[in-house]
Amino acid sequence: MNDHRPQRVNPSAIAHSPISPSGLPNQVTYTSASWFRQPGPPIWKKMWRDLLASRELAWRLMVKDLSAQYRQSMFGIAWAFIPPIILAAGFTFATNAKVINIGKTDIPYPAYVMLGTMLWQTFIEALNSPIQAITTSKGLLAKINFPREAIILAKLGQVFFNFGIKIILIAGVFLWFRIPVPWTIAIAPVALLHLIWLGTFIGLLLAPLAGLYNDVSKALPLIIGPWLFLTPVVFPVPSSGTFATVVKLNPVTPLLVTTRELATTGVISDPQGFWITSGIAIGGLLVAWILYRVAMPYVIERVSS
Amino acid sequence: MDRSVIVKALNQNEQKQTLTRADDVVLSVNGVSKKFCRDLKRSLLYGVQDITADLVGLRRESDRLRPKEFWALQNVSFQLRRGEALGLVGKNGSGKSTLLRVIAGLIKPDAGSVDVCGRIAPLIALSAGFNPILTGRENIYANMSILGLSQKEIDERFDQVVEFAEIGDAIDAPVQTYSSGMTARLGFACAIHTEPDILLIDEVLAVGDAKFRSKCTRKLAELRAKGTSFIFVSHNSMAIMAVSTSAIYLQKGKLIAGGTPDKIVEMYEEDLFLGNTKVIQGKMTIPEKSPSNSSGVDITSICLKNLESNTIDSLTSGESASFCVGFKAHRSFSAVSLRIEVREVGGENNTILFLSGWLEQGVFDISTGNHEIQIQMPYVCFKPGVYVASVNLRKDSSYIFDTVESFTFVVRGDSKMSRCSFYQPHSWKLVTL
Repeated sequence: MNDHRPQRVNPSAIAHSPISPSGLPNQVTYTSASWFRQPGPPIWKKMWRDLLASRELAWRLMVKDLSAQYRQSMFGIAWAFIPPIILAAGFTFATNAKVINIGKTDIPYPAYVMLGTMLWQTFIEALNSPIQAITTSKGLLAKINFPREAIILAKLGQVFFNFGIKIILIAGVFLWFRIPVPWTIAIAPVALLHLIWLGTFIGLLLAPLAGLYNDVSKALPLIIGPWLFLTPVVFPVPSSGTFATVVKLNPVTPLLVTTRELATTGVISDPQGFWITSGIAIGGLLVAWILYRVAMPYVIERVSS
Repeated sequence: MDRSVIVKALNQNEQKQTLTRADDVVLSVNGVSKKFCRDLKRSLLYGVQDITADLVGLRRESDRLRPKEFWALQNVSFQLRRGEALGLVGKNGSGKSTLLRVIAGLIKPDAGSVDVCGRIAPLIALSAGFNPILTGRENIYANMSILGLSQKEIDERFDQVVEFAEIGDAIDAPVQTYSSGMTARLGFACAIHTEPDILLIDEVLAVGDAKFRSKCTRKLAELRAKGTSFIFVSHNSMAIMAVSTSAIYLQKGKLIAGGTPDKIVEMYEEDLFLGNTKVIQGKMTIPEKSPSNSSGVDITSICLKNLESNTIDSLTSGESASFCVGFKAHRSFSAVSLRIEVREVGGENNTILFLSGWLEQGVFDISTGNHEIQIQMPYVCFKPGVYVASVNLRKDSSYIFDTVESFTFVVRGDSKMSRCSFYQPHSWKLVTL
């Protein structure tokens, strides 16, 4: 229904004329056919159109969510800083006390952990955002037919907003530890974007299933916990052994490491891995997007309105 | 809004309808079927199967049910034209809401197709998406953009929405401080001001107080005059008859009848309350209830009679008549009274006449047996038209023995009465001073 906006004609013109003055403003047909047999333009055209149509709504939903979130909070944006600081403090303490043994890092260890944690957090937020979008807006989805992309975009917007706040902390860390800034930091956002696409891809893939079964939301934290320790967030990339292979096969590794390298050393250790994973993330995101669009009516059917 | 304006608008609308052309169809539902599964676990599994089938392109029109499935809608077809108000009646679980959800494009049909021309707005989601923490102002913007309006369009309508919802200064207070009535009004105002081409209304006219309800009904009449079409779901037969221009009847997912609202509602109510009640023009007889279904006094007939106590099929403006309700008492009761409420079919949804025996010493002590309470009217003051009465028998002020939701009757009149809306009993006299 929101696909095209009908041309608003002067209401008095309608009232006095028996024939619709604008002809057919927007014709939509709903059938039982599969997505690629649906009448109307091909799906990518509809996807593009809905993406454009949902910008304003997504912005509004994001502003609404953010202001509600901060209005009901005492510490407000401090919540973006607290987890990485606490995690960095904990790991630094554990390393200094020789509880855990971590190899040498390119930059001071607390800074390494904080930067890594912030990137990891952003990835996890991106992964969770489509799932949260569906579970929190179930009622709305079941009642109103708005472009389904909007809730995903709104959540993604929040991910960017939160990262924007974290940049303040990152700047503070760079200043505090006197880490030299390479010119490559200018292209670090591109790598970060790919990291976010990867998270969104996985989240969007799981979102329809999460809309049906709440097992997904239950299982996710159990997977995310160990996953952190298979990603070089609090330790440098291991060079040999089975563990090194597992870490290398972890798709988050090349994207997160590249982002961090671009922001700190300026030397990319695994450009090939980065591009392969980026390709998977972007291609996968498009596929997951189609899946999401196709699956939503079936999910909504099973949500009470 | 001035009543004459509405009447004019409605008349204009009727003229339009006589000019209806094929390209005026804004919604066309063609053989739509939808199946559901009542077993939740299985339903979720079917969901996964359906998604997979749709993705790989195996999904096609299906006419077979999988285990534990049933048809929520089966081969439903109808059309909606510009400015038409279609009432949708049916028992709970007959598929009314499912039909609205298919039309809104929220869920996919299993067979058939829906062609929509124009923007659809659901009025089912009154305050969906309201965030209690945020102010009324912020919620209006969020809610209306979900309903598909741009920033500019909302800016233009903002004042109208606030005025319509009667929120006033509270607009900048958080919605959680609003009363439930205020929230509902705000939701309704947002939805109605999106000015859609087709409005889906699911049992929402029950919000707010009587004043706000009549305001809503007026607003709907206004929108309809501008060419908005409605689909209207309600269990309130009165509301259906008052608002709709036509109606369809769903039974167990099948569309079993379509026609004028009074015919369809009559049919629905016969099925719902009365089993095999006979309704002939001006008289309704209701079969006796079994003692276990009875609350002591049962209405057995409703009819119109003239001065000579003969049953008549219609009332005539200016003449005398009685409105008679027959009942059977299984034992004796004291303080039994009759209450009737009359509305005009196709008018505004407001009560034209309200009579309560309890409030007017029309209270009787009755013995076991058959009786009739007559409301004797020396002059029928209704203007010609079709009316529907809801009738109930009470003990004291609030205990209801039995109720009949709609007794439809016709009032006729001569040509003079077509020029006015009220019969004034009168006589002429010349006095020389």
